[in-house]
Amino acid sequence: MTPEPVTQGDLPPPILGWSQSAIIGATSAEVSRALTGLRGNLIRLGLPEDALIRLELVLAEIMNNVVEHAYAGADSGDMTLEASVHGRAIWCHLRDKGRAMPGGKLPCPRRYDLDAMRMDDLPEGGFGWGLIHDLTQGLSYRRVAEENHVRFRIDLDS
Amino acid sequence: MEMSLQPQGAVSVLRVGNDRIDAAIAIQFKDRFRDITADVAGPVVLDLGRVTFLDSSGLGAVVAARKLLGPDRALELAALSPAVEKVMQLTRMNTVFPIHDTVADALTAHGVAPAA
Repeated sequence: MTPEPVTQGDLPPPILGWSQSAIIGATSAEVSRALTGLRGNLIRLGLPEDALIRLELVLAEIMNNVVEHAYAGADSGDMTLEASVHGRAIWCHLRDKGRAMPGGKLPCPRRYDLDAMRMDDLPEGGFGWGLIHDLTQGLSYRRVAEENHVRFRIDLDS
Repeated sequence: MEMSLQPQGAVSVLRVGNDRIDAAIAIQFKDRFRDITADVAGPVVLDLGRVTFLDSSGLGAVVAARKLLGPDRALELAALSPAVEKVMQLTRMNTVFPIHDTVADALTAHGVAPAA
């Protein structure tokens, strides 16, 4: 099944109606702090733990990708996260002013055949996009006016 | 990075004191792990009971830790929170590391009676 792209016009009517916008500095420490804060806010809304686990993991991967790749070599930068809860999903939109994704599209997930690997060959990275693809619905990327826009949602019940 | 080593018989239990092992701390984790296990001879049980979040960078650091111990010293994981367990399952790293529900289970598996 092809996931439908997430656009503002498609949003179902808000049930919980909660939303948050945050500007986060492009460092791994700031990402860590922002995610801890967001988790606290969403726990207070009574959202299911499994959805919050998926959300935090996906955001950590996407935001640290911005830190390490979009802003690689830059002195400073930031990103804006908009998250809202509508219907039975958490909708996210992350934008940054860093470098575009290579080829103008989302990187493909990398899959490893761990069974065939010797210990020394085990991967120490490259899991990020696999996790992002596996845990989101409606994942999309657009480069608009020198900005990267990544949108996705986390279904509360999946 | 808070990490403490407690020998229990032939096994060394390495307790992580931080609640996140993520991109912000992955390099410190690796460095601290290398230092603290330098003189350890037997298997190491990594007690993750306090860790509520592990991302792919943190997982990479745990894999790097595994390699640091080499083939003669085991690295086993214990007391995974739901978030940590999810990452291990999704990346299939749960097939690479022996995983125990509790530190006591890990010790028992090595024939060590857990301290009361």
